[in-house]
Amino acid sequence: MLEVRQVSKIYEGNVAYRALTDIDLTIDAGEFVGIMGPSGSGKTTLLNMIATVDGPTTGSIMIDGKDTGKLDKNELAVFRRRELGFVFQDFNLLNTLTVEENIVLPLTLDGTQVNEMKQKAQEIAGKLGISAIMKKRTYEISGGQAQRTAIARAMIHSPKLLLADEPTGNLDSKAAKDVMDLLEAINREQSTTMMLVTHDAVAASYCHRVVFIKDGRFYTEIHSGNNRQSFFQKIIDTLSLLGGYSNDVPPVRIP
Amino acid sequence: MTFRQFAFRNVTRNKRLYTAYFLSSMFTVMVFFTFAIFAYHPVLSAENLQSSAVIALSVSKWIIYVFSFFFVLYSMSAFLQSRKREFGLMMMHGMTTRQLRRMIFMENMLIGLSATAGGIGLGIVFAKGILLAGTNALALKEPLLFYFPFKAVLLTLISFMLLFVLISLFISAVLRSGKLITLIKADRQPKQEPKASLLLSLLVVLLLGTSYFLSLRASGLEVVMLLAPVVIMVTIGTFLLFTQLSVYLIRKLKGRERFFWRRTNMLLLSDLSYRMKDNARSFFLVAIISTVSFSAIGALYGFQSMLNGSLTQKNPYLFTYMSADGDSQARTHIQLIDQSLSKAGIAAEKTGLELNYYKAADGSQTVVLVKQSEYNNVAELMGLKPIQLAAGKAAIVDFGLSRKGEEMLHQPVKLQPGMVIEADQAVVSPAVRAFSGYYVVSDEWIGRLAQPLKVSRYYAWHGAIGQQGVQMVGGKLTNELPYDEHYNFYALEYQTSKINDNFGPLMFMGFFIGIVFFVSAGSFLYFRLYSDLDEDKQKFKAISKLGLSDKELGKILNRQIGLLFFAPIVVALVHGAVALTALSHMFQYSMFRESLLVLGLFFFIQVIYFFIVRLFYIRQIRSALAGS
Repeated sequence: MLEVRQVSKIYEGNVAYRALTDIDLTIDAGEFVGIMGPSGSGKTTLLNMIATVDGPTTGSIMIDGKDTGKLDKNELAVFRRRELGFVFQDFNLLNTLTVEENIVLPLTLDGTQVNEMKQKAQEIAGKLGISAIMKKRTYEISGGQAQRTAIARAMIHSPKLLLADEPTGNLDSKAAKDVMDLLEAINREQSTTMMLVTHDAVAASYCHRVVFIKDGRFYTEIHSGNNRQSFFQKIIDTLSLLGGYSNDVPPVRIP
Repeated sequence: MTFRQFAFRNVTRNKRLYTAYFLSSMFTVMVFFTFAIFAYHPVLSAENLQSSAVIALSVSKWIIYVFSFFFVLYSMSAFLQSRKREFGLMMMHGMTTRQLRRMIFMENMLIGLSATAGGIGLGIVFAKGILLAGTNALALKEPLLFYFPFKAVLLTLISFMLLFVLISLFISAVLRSGKLITLIKADRQPKQEPKASLLLSLLVVLLLGTSYFLSLRASGLEVVMLLAPVVIMVTIGTFLLFTQLSVYLIRKLKGRERFFWRRTNMLLLSDLSYRMKDNARSFFLVAIISTVSFSAIGALYGFQSMLNGSLTQKNPYLFTYMSADGDSQARTHIQLIDQSLSKAGIAAEKTGLELNYYKAADGSQTVVLVKQSEYNNVAELMGLKPIQLAAGKAAIVDFGLSRKGEEMLHQPVKLQPGMVIEADQAVVSPAVRAFSGYYVVSDEWIGRLAQPLKVSRYYAWHGAIGQQGVQMVGGKLTNELPYDEHYNFYALEYQTSKINDNFGPLMFMGFFIGIVFFVSAGSFLYFRLYSDLDEDKQKFKAISKLGLSDKELGKILNRQIGLLFFAPIVVALVHGAVALTALSHMFQYSMFRESLLVLGLFFFIQVIYFFIVRLFYIRQIRSALAGS
């Protein structure tokens, strides 16, 4: 489904900065993959490149067999609105539009029939439990509702790949749990491929697999077993190793 | 939601941002439409006599049109700047560049069409009142009745549709979306602090200083010659003032930590310096536009009061009559004037003097001599200062704007053997109307001269201004004594009222155009302020977490908005004051009262505008703080 091959990113500037070095990542269809790493490790840079918002300096990114580097600006736009869905930490809803209008935006841009849009919006709102707030404006709803709206917007066109950047970053624990349960359910029921960038070990524990990067390089990856609790523990352990200096936590302690 | 609905909702749900722009566009359309109503009015277009007024109306109509073109262009591009992040977000969800252009085009057209419709609608509603006012202003004998201005509606509709279509096309065509990642991060990227050079900052002082010095020192017709270079210098100077000098000063202030680190100074100044690049352009535009409108309205108002005040005060005669040598009709004419006056019951005293023409001995020039006793007679009657002469010397007298006398001082002219005339004083006096550069010499001296080349007789009827019937008699006499090379009759009040009649339309239009300029200057400032609103909300949210009292918040915002509203206006006021002073030097007529009134009025309106905007802005910021 997604193949990232030897991707590096260098930011030109007064001081050239190497954000990513030789990253390889493959995600299969229907997989739910988390990306973790300390601040400044290049998680969001990687996500931006997969989202086709930014281009890699070297290497290639293939989504569903298409090399995103070879598409021109217009093709990319159409590609994004048909194949990709986005969920952000700060929701990024348009505040001139109502919840419902925000949800149907990708379809609007694609010129879908109004009836079809209405029906799809109703359907997805029902699933996400936001039917009651469809006519509200973005400033009238809570953070959890805003994120569910954003998820509905990302899901309405049934994208092949859903990208989430810290979706729980601005939410309280209850809302964060709801959002992650939702994402997991969508992944399970509609077998949508998902990629999640997060700091939050709880959120990451919903994934099938978590990839760790540090200082722009691949560090390690761990797979979920049957139990989310023990996967959570594994993630915490890896993070403690990743975050501190190597002599703080001797490797022998890894279970 | 279809794509069209989406574009429309972007505008209709963002009223706060678009209101000022919409209202000022609508106002411009309305003014344009009003002029069109006049220009196409059946009475005006049928009557050939009023054609000058109709031409003036058409010209001002198109001035407004050209101005609104730039106004709309500038406002639109300012809006697009502030919406970069929004565009990035839409493109992230798959909006193509073509769709983005289409959306911007549709948004613009929505605003443009409703502004045009609104402007025409308001114009029709107020048409009756405006036509009534116009009848007075244009000094028409026949009242302008209400008519349904079909042609005017059509013209306005087509012109402004064209304008909005062209600008929308242009804006959406030149829109460069740039890299998506930079769009999305647009508001997070710190703006570059503009740099200022000391040299250019000093150039500001030089340019403005020179311009002011030249305009304040200039007198008479020099002002007209200096106009173009001074305007160019002031424009460049003002631009550099906001882009260079202000940045330089703010930087210097920031360098002084004792000042910069005091209480809220740091917040205010750092903000200013980072926004200066955006601000400078708006400040410059507002300052120049306001200067133009101040000067235009001030000058027009000054002219009018000069016509009514100075002409009649400084030319204290009702009629004058000048008969050149050999005019056989002079006697009958004088009788006719005397009879007309007494018949109409007008109290006037007749006085007069002789202008003696002599040729210089070398034949190079002709000089005109007036006897001191005759001159002083006339002067005494008119309440002017009599001339005292030093032994053997003469005085040169000028009328109005002429300054021949100063050039002719101390230049002896030999008239006849042993008779050399030399002036040691130059006087400006209205004693003889429309005649300049004549010598006043002692009676005894003139007696020693031989016969003059020719003699002109000048008569003046002196009397109180504003007597009943003077204007009518003046008009009648002007018709009976038309211009002729042998004589020249002038009826002051009749001529003044004629000038006033021609001046009315000019005043009326100048006033309207000035107001349009001023209103749009105000809305430029409003855009500037509101494009920073979101950034300000963020900033004050962050600061209030550190502990910022309500009073301190009010203080910072007060200064910030105050600076935005008054920095360009104060510059414009100073420019305007200098321009009006130069103008009053040119006409030798103090327009101090008029300038003060016009500039003060504009300042007062700006203060009111400031308070209204401040109220809403602070309320917005406070509600954002309360919401966090």
